[in-house]
Amino acid sequence: MAATALCWALRVVQQVLPSPCPRQVRSYYVDWRMLRDVKRRKMAYEHADERLRINAIRKNSILPKELQEVADKEIAALPRDSCPVRIRNRCVLTSRPRGVKRRWRLSRIVFRHFADHAQMSGVQRAMW
Amino acid sequence: TSSVLSKDKDKSAASKDSTHEEAPKKQEDGAETPKQKLLDMIGNMKVEVTYRRKLQQLKASESKKQAMKKLEGLDSEGSVPQGITEDTQRGKPLNPELVKAASAVASSLPRNKKQMESELLAQLRRHEETTDKQKKGGTINIRNVISEMTVKRQSPAQRGARISGRISLQLDEDGQRRRHERSSAQSVDYRSLKVGKRLNIFTKASTEPEHALKTVSSPTIWDLEFAKEVAAVTAQPPRNGFEEMIQWTKEGILWEFPIDNEVGMEDDAEFHEHIFLEKHLEGFPKEGPIRHFMELVICGLSKNPYLSVKQKVEHIEWFQNYFEEKKELLQEI
Repeated sequence: MAATALCWALRVVQQVLPSPCPRQVRSYYVDWRMLRDVKRRKMAYEHADERLRINAIRKNSILPKELQEVADKEIAALPRDSCPVRIRNRCVLTSRPRGVKRRWRLSRIVFRHFADHAQMSGVQRAMW
Repeated sequence: TSSVLSKDKDKSAASKDSTHEEAPKKQEDGAETPKQKLLDMIGNMKVEVTYRRKLQQLKASESKKQAMKKLEGLDSEGSVPQGITEDTQRGKPLNPELVKAASAVASSLPRNKKQMESELLAQLRRHEETTDKQKKGGTINIRNVISEMTVKRQSPAQRGARISGRISLQLDEDGQRRRHERSSAQSVDYRSLKVGKRLNIFTKASTEPEHALKTVSSPTIWDLEFAKEVAAVTAQPPRNGFEEMIQWTKEGILWEFPIDNEVGMEDDAEFHEHIFLEKHLEGFPKEGPIRHFMELVICGLSKNPYLSVKQKVEHIEWFQNYFEEKKELLQEI
């Protein structure tokens, strides 16, 4: 009895405090796809300057072609998640990848829900 | 505060003097902050020194002051070698430590050494004069004035009467005036002009800098924790929407109105530093496609209003590093 209670307590403790060495992935995003999107956005922000500069060397008619080929290889060597093309503008509340209005960062369903409850400032049902 | 005041007076006096016109320009040039720090230190040191001396030499100071004034009247210009010898000749001999410190300061600064020394010593002399004058005469008059002042209190009946008097017609104004006279007469009667206690609200100016020097640098963790506790306890929940908005603004949730578009963007650089970026191109070869490319880069950067000067310089430096790494490759071509 005491042993099982101890084991249960240990398990609870382990769940609450997972291994401290790697960074905890525990956060309150809606789902894992949203988390991966967040990671991609962070990486794209970090490498944005480098990518811009290497692209400036590549898309060039002045510099010699050998240099541009080297730049091609360099940009391909950067981590895959650092390119901005991989970012998907998901809905902020439901993580829906499609039907998202950019101004509100919400999917059409959530937007409609809030607008009907008069919780979207300046949004009104259209009638003309 | 008196040391600060005396320093301001000194600086204004210094600026007026013909030989000391160079001093403010020198301060502006480059050695401003170290020189000011040194002067501050010397000023602080000197205040303590004069306070001690005051306790020791009360009677001799007056005669010495008169002698100093006469000497200063003779030597307004203060030429170079005479200034140093006159320090010892003058009525109140300066502390030899201060003289050594002044000479060390003057020698450390890269400008005209002898002139700096004479200027520093002249400032020290003026410091002593002003502190002596303040300690003798100035502060007491203020105290007398303030101790005699009291807050004028209106009874609520009088206040109501006054407010109603403003609204009512001219008929009541005579009554109001009589009441005013009565109140003013009463206030004069029960407090005569010559009776006065020393309120001792203000401490002596000389003691302040000593305390300030001691208690500056000791913010322990316990002090911080205590401060946090106090803030948490005294923070009442907001009573109305305005206080809520104030709290949000302090936290950073709400912007400050009127909206400042340049919040967080501290670009102290002038426009010419943004546009004329050619001076950063010194590490590149002067001819060839790389130079052409970099000139285009600079043209684009000069038209970019969104980057700060630091970012633009970093941009150019990145390209410099990149091309240096690829030098072998470029030389093959």
